[in-house]
Amino acid sequence: MEETELINLWKSYDKKLEESLSLNRKNAEEITKMKVQSFLISMKPLKIFTLLVGIVWVGVGSVIVTNLFVSAFTEVSKFFLFSAVIQLVLTAIAIVVYVYQLILIHQVDSNESVVKTQEQLARLKSSTLWVTRVLFLQLPVWTTFYLSEGIFKNGNTLFYIVQGAVTFSFAYVAFWLFLHIRPENKDKKWFRLIFDGKEWTPVLKSMELLNQIEDYKTEISLP
Amino acid sequence: MNATDKSALFLSVIESHKGILYKVANSYCKDSEDRKDLIQEMMVQLWKSFESYTDQYKYSTWIYRIALNVAISFYRKENRRKEIANPLDDDILNVSDTTMPTEKEQNLAVLHQFIAELKELDKALMLLYLEEKSHKEIAEIIGISETNAATKIGKIKALLKQKFSSR
Repeated sequence: MEETELINLWKSYDKKLEESLSLNRKNAEEITKMKVQSFLISMKPLKIFTLLVGIVWVGVGSVIVTNLFVSAFTEVSKFFLFSAVIQLVLTAIAIVVYVYQLILIHQVDSNESVVKTQEQLARLKSSTLWVTRVLFLQLPVWTTFYLSEGIFKNGNTLFYIVQGAVTFSFAYVAFWLFLHIRPENKDKKWFRLIFDGKEWTPVLKSMELLNQIEDYKTEISLP
Repeated sequence: MNATDKSALFLSVIESHKGILYKVANSYCKDSEDRKDLIQEMMVQLWKSFESYTDQYKYSTWIYRIALNVAISFYRKENRRKEIANPLDDDILNVSDTTMPTEKEQNLAVLHQFIAELKELDKALMLLYLEEKSHKEIAEIIGISETNAATKIGKIKALLKQKFSSR
């Protein structure tokens, strides 16, 4: 089909729309009176609940651990104390970064050019991966919080081997995931396994969109 | 400008450019319920940005930017209707049935199918090309250079020509 035929075809579609499309003024007017809700209310209830649980966990945990540090440092297992501190700090960082990203996404100006706006949104959304990387770093402390000096004193060789292997494996996996959870690996099987599910679709879509945007920003010289 | 005048001006701008909203929404959203949500979201974003509109750009450029940005980022929304306090039950834009000559309808169906299969940014470019926007205006809306816009449109047109000739 020639270019002029194509444009004429579209023009006839346009003409058809002009004759058949009508604006529901009453509904359109309602838009100008509507209040747009905050970004929190636009989130899924389960996500809000998870966020609240995380905040309460970090809050209550911090109070307990601080009290233990101050009033019972010599009595409490150092393994427990330092494992708890690491876990709480990592969770707090993840929560703060996640909420900050949500606020920034909500504030992106859709009045800007398509490439600029979409790049901002896609980078923010795909940086959710960073939150997941940070959360995985806490894996090893879940194998050490229950330990104590007493357990080590009374332990045998088998215990040391098994405990060592478990903690080492968890630490290895945690750091490997921290290094490899990146957009470049999004097509790998293990990546798809971890990031399976509808809630990850926007993040994966953002990464694909970033590839499109990079392509659009690359100038190609005409022959 | 008081609130009533502002609302009246906004509605008149939307009335004059309602085709843009429908065409963009139809290209990015085949599901009718999703399309309803998408058009409502476009209207909300347009109303939010209306205060800051300046005549640096034409109304059509401003509307295209916002409509395309909303449509392209629509995949991110989880609870789209929850973004708005009271989502509207009825459509903002209504299309009554009209018929076109059969061959034209078939060709249009192929064209719509082709557009639907394009990636998000290519879709935007194709729509603007079909709307006979100048390379300058396309570059302003998309945010790339005029040369880049021309090159990319050329590639998409070549694909489209292939699609029609393979029928």
